[in-house]
Amino acid sequence: MKRGLGELESTIMDRMWAYHKPASVRDVLEDLRKDREIAYTTVMTVMDKLHTKGLLKRKPVGRAYVYEPVASKEAYTAELMRDSLAASGNQAATLVHFLERLTPEEATALEAALQVFPPGGRKQ
Amino acid sequence: MIVPLFLALYSVVAAVLLPRLLARASWTSRAPRLAIGMWQAAGFSAVAAALLAAISLAVPTDLIGHGLARFFEACTELPDLSLTGVRAGLAGAALIVARLAYSVADVVLRTRRERRRHAEMLALLGRPDGDLGAVVVEHAERVAYCLPGRRAQTVITTGALASLTPDQVAAVLAHEHAHLRGRHHLVLAGAEILTRAFPRVPLFERARAELARLVELLADDMAARRHHRIHIAAALVGLATGRVPAFALAAGGETALTRVRRMLHPHEPLERRERLSALLAVAGLLAGPAALVAVPGLTSFLAHHCHGLFS
Repeated sequence: MKRGLGELESTIMDRMWAYHKPASVRDVLEDLRKDREIAYTTVMTVMDKLHTKGLLKRKPVGRAYVYEPVASKEAYTAELMRDSLAASGNQAATLVHFLERLTPEEATALEAALQVFPPGGRKQ
Repeated sequence: MIVPLFLALYSVVAAVLLPRLLARASWTSRAPRLAIGMWQAAGFSAVAAALLAAISLAVPTDLIGHGLARFFEACTELPDLSLTGVRAGLAGAALIVARLAYSVADVVLRTRRERRRHAEMLALLGRPDGDLGAVVVEHAERVAYCLPGRRAQTVITTGALASLTPDQVAAVLAHEHAHLRGRHHLVLAGAEILTRAFPRVPLFERARAELARLVELLADDMAARRHHRIHIAAALVGLATGRVPAFALAAGGETALTRVRRMLHPHEPLERRERLSALLAVAGLLAGPAALVAVPGLTSFLAHHCHGLFS
């Protein structure tokens, strides 16, 4: 279980991604209050932080801001995966494995090699 | 004069010839842990020799090797290099230490920053799965990796989960845990530091590539203690196939092939004699530079105190 502000950030981002439309702090607050007690200022602080981090963009509507994710969750995920797996990347930062791409011939040869062994496998 | 010369020569030989010798050794995939130690010892040895060469140039050789000058009369006949020698030696030593220190700081800071950013995004995008003991990321690409550090995490994508059987997933996660438990990121960081501090040195470049390969083999072996080798092999194939080009670190999959074959047809472990000679080689690499420094000291000691031996 993640705790504290980190968890709230994650929850709020998930809601924002799910809305598919801009939402104000009030909208998010009402949504969150279905599940838990939470203060307006807490939600505002976290959403402001998410904006500072570049995850949410906002524009003033009336006296408040409406927020919207900068990019979709899928786009962020793809970026995160690509960043950590980049060939030029620092291997020591994230240990990424199984990265080689096999040619179709190699893949077929390996699949064939696997077929020889019983599905139950053997130790050693 | 002879000591810095020997040390410099040793350092150059280690930097250029050792990688060729080690890379050709076929025993490394049979004993990855020992091979990792060997590459690390080689790296340490080369740097230590270069550093000692510079220092021994700066520190008057007759301090450490008083008797040497008498044995090699020719050396005393050389033009007085003392001042230039001292300067060059000190400058060389300072340069080596400074490059190393800068590189350590650079790699440590950058790695920490990248990991923190990664962990932050992972907290938003991933979902911790208590049963798996891993963070699951919604993504079609088949990927499994670990994020080392104080709050180490293992990450697996839904794409990988969908394409692997539960046994294979368990094997993959065991492989990742082996990396974390074995602190393999420190091995890689060390290699990274040396290549950054002294770029284009064959030994360090080769060591980085080999160590990246060897920690994989080692993690496979650790995973094979608790999981069937066939599951590890199948997981490797499952993850290595069906990958889009942008995600491939090394096309051709030479390492993947070796790893799958290794899992299916395990090699014999090293014989006692082979293991012993490899260990001796590691010890030799670690002690070599220091031994070279000690030789003239010993000779001079003998010359001073054991006249009888020489007369």
